[in-house]
Amino acid sequence: MIADQRRKRITDAMQESGLDALLVYGNAWQGDYLRYATDFGILEGQALAIVRVDGHITLYVDSPLEADRAALDCPGIEVVLALDLVGEVDEVLNRMRNRSMGSAPQRLLPRRIAARASELKMTDETGFVDRLLMGKLDSEIAAIRKSAKLADAGYRVFMQAARVGRADYELVAEAEAFFRANGVDDNFQIIGVGGVEVKGMAPPSGKKLKRGDMVTTELTPCVDGYYAQICRTLVVGEATSEQKGAHALWRESMEAGIATARDGVTAADIAKAENDVFRKYGMGQYTTSEFTRVRGHGMGLFADTKPHILEDVTTRIDAGMALIVHPNTYHPAVGYMVLGDGIAVTMSGCEVLTGTARELFSVAG
Amino acid sequence: MGWSAEELPVATLEARLARLRAGMAKAGMDAFIIYTNNTRPSAVAYVTGFTPYWSDALMLVGKIGAPVFATALSKRVSEWIRTTDPLSEIVNTPKPGTLMGERLARDAAVKKVGILEYDTLPSGLADEMTAAAPAVEWTDGTALFAGLRREVDDAERGLLAKADTMTIAALREAETGKAKDAGTLAGLVEQSARLAGAEETYIAVAPDLAADRRLNRTSQPTPLSDRFAVRASIAYKGCWVRRTRMFAKDAANADAWFDGVVRSLEAGKPIASQLAAKLKDLPGAALTSWMAESCTGSYPLSAVASSRVAAKDVPVNGQFLVLTVELTLDGAPWLGAAPLVVGRGAL
Repeated sequence: MIADQRRKRITDAMQESGLDALLVYGNAWQGDYLRYATDFGILEGQALAIVRVDGHITLYVDSPLEADRAALDCPGIEVVLALDLVGEVDEVLNRMRNRSMGSAPQRLLPRRIAARASELKMTDETGFVDRLLMGKLDSEIAAIRKSAKLADAGYRVFMQAARVGRADYELVAEAEAFFRANGVDDNFQIIGVGGVEVKGMAPPSGKKLKRGDMVTTELTPCVDGYYAQICRTLVVGEATSEQKGAHALWRESMEAGIATARDGVTAADIAKAENDVFRKYGMGQYTTSEFTRVRGHGMGLFADTKPHILEDVTTRIDAGMALIVHPNTYHPAVGYMVLGDGIAVTMSGCEVLTGTARELFSVAG
Repeated sequence: MGWSAEELPVATLEARLARLRAGMAKAGMDAFIIYTNNTRPSAVAYVTGFTPYWSDALMLVGKIGAPVFATALSKRVSEWIRTTDPLSEIVNTPKPGTLMGERLARDAAVKKVGILEYDTLPSGLADEMTAAAPAVEWTDGTALFAGLRREVDDAERGLLAKADTMTIAALREAETGKAKDAGTLAGLVEQSARLAGAEETYIAVAPDLAADRRLNRTSQPTPLSDRFAVRASIAYKGCWVRRTRMFAKDAANADAWFDGVVRSLEAGKPIASQLAAKLKDLPGAALTSWMAESCTGSYPLSAVASSRVAAKDVPVNGQFLVLTVELTLDGAPWLGAAPLVVGRGAL
C-alpha cells in the first residue's frame, strides 16, 4: 500500500529531524500535504491532521459527510468530526505544547493556529514535506504512470466529443464521465476555444465550437490520489499553415525541455531549454509572464505541485521526480496553444509517461 | 459559466452589497474582506457572481465604490474573470494580501475591518495584510455575513432551482438500469449534470446499503446491489444543491413521505420535533439521524443543525436548507436528502 509506505517515510523523516509531531492542513484545492500524511482525498470543507512520530495519525474534518468518507477511505487512522475545526485542534495543540512540533503548508494554515506558532514552538516544516512530495517512491511513480495512461485515453474521448456546434462544457462532460467510469476519482481540466482572441485556458464558458477554432485543453486525471497531466491542441477542420508552423515550434520546445530533464539539472535548465527555442525563432517575448504562467511543473498528489519549471527556479531535479513539460503560451498569429507531456525523471534522462501523438490534431469541421 | 444579467441582475448584486454595507455600518466596520478559493467560493460568488477554478483570492468591500478583487491568477485570466463578475475592480497580483493591506492603509478613515471566517483565513494572506496595514483593527465578520444569508433572494432561488432540476435529472440515470456498477453510475450522473450545464459535481455512492450506509466518491466497478444510494452535489453559477436518493423496490412510500416533509417544513419550530411528529405518518420507520445544511459563508454547504450535535435547529422563513434524513424502515436502511426553502417548500 502506497499510503503505508508514505506513512513510514514521513515518520522516519520526522525521527531524523527530531520532530515529535507534524500538523498538516488540506482542502480540495490543495490537499497534497494532507493526503501524503493521511491518504484522505478531501472534497468538502477543510481538514487538519496531526502525525505523531510513533505513526499515530489523527485526522480532523469539519464536515459530517467527509467524516464518513474518511472513515471508509482511511481505516488505519483516527478520524474526528470537529465542527469547530480550529478550536478543537487548537485545544489538542495546547496539550502537546512541550513536544517538538512542525506544520505544513504554513501559508495555508488557519490564521488562528498559525498565529500561535511561536508560543507553541511550532516550526514551519513546509520544505520538509515538499521534499517528500517531490521525490517519489517507485510505487508513487507507478500510480502516476497509471494516471498518465488514463490521460491519454481521456484525450481520445475528448477528441471524439469535439465537433462543430458542441459547447465546450459538453466536451468536459464526456471526459469526466469516461474518467468516473474508469477509476479516476478526480480530474482537473481547463479549456480554450477560438483563435487569436484566446489568451489562455479557463473553465468552460458555454462557447460553441466552430470551423477553424483551435481547442486547447489540459487533462489532469487522478488515480489513487496521483495526478498526471497531458496538454494537447486540436483544430476544428483543417489546420492552417500558421497553426501547423506554431505547433512545430511548440513541439521543438517541449522536446528540448524533455531532452534536458535528468537527475542533477535544475528546473531553470529545463525552462531555458524550452524558452531558447522560442528565442531562436524571435518569439522570446511569449515566454514571459505576460503570456504564460509556467513552462511545466511537478505532478503528484497535487495537480500543480512543485517544482515550477521557470528560468528563475533553481530547484535541483532528482531521479524519482515526476514533471510535465509544457511550453504553453500565446502565439500572435493563431492564439493560445498548448502541448505537454508528463515525464518521470531518471538518472540518465527521463521516461515519457504520456503516449498521445505530439500532433496538432484535426477533427471534422 | 459566464455571468448572465437575466439570471443574476446587477440590481440584485447591488442590493446584496447594500445589505452587507448596512451590516458593516451597524457593526462599526469601515471595510470587509472575503476570502475565496475553489473549495470556499460561495461568499464572493454571492457578492459578485465569480467562482474561482484555481488559486485563491481576496475581495475588499469598502463603504462605497466597486468591490476590489485581488487574485494571484495571471492577468491573462482577467478577461475570463470579467465574464463572471460584472461589478468588481479586478487586480492581478502575486500577493493579494499585501495589495489589500496597502489599499486599506492608504485610507486614513479605515480603522476597523471585518473579515469573513477570520480564524480560518490562510495565514499567508493574513500575515501579508497585517504587515501592510499594521494600524488596522481586524475583527471577525462571520456572524454578520451569516445574517445576510438567512434568506435567499429571488435570483438565488432561481439559480438553486436550476441546479436542482439538473440534480433531479442526473439522479434519474440510476433508474435506467444502464449502470450495473458504482463507477459507471457516477459517470452517468456526472455526465448528465455537466451536459445540462453544471459547473461542478460531487457524486457519492453507497453501492450496498445493507452492508454499509455511508456514501463515498467512487470510480470503481463495485457492483450495485438491490438497495443502493447516490448523492449528487451539484453547482450551477456558484449555487450548490445536494440530493440523495435511495434505489430499492420498497423505497416509494418513504420517498413520498420525505417529499412531504421537505414541502412542509415550517419556520419557528425545531426540525427534530417536526421530524418526530411527521414520522408517525410512516409506519415501521425509526429516525436514525438527520442533518440540515445551508450556505452561510464561504463554504457551499455546511451543517447548521443535526442530530449529531446539539445546536439551534429552528429554521426561519426564506432560509435555504438541504435536509438529509436517515431512517430504519422495517429493519432496512433508507436515506434521502433534498433542498428546500423554508416556508415555501421544495425549490
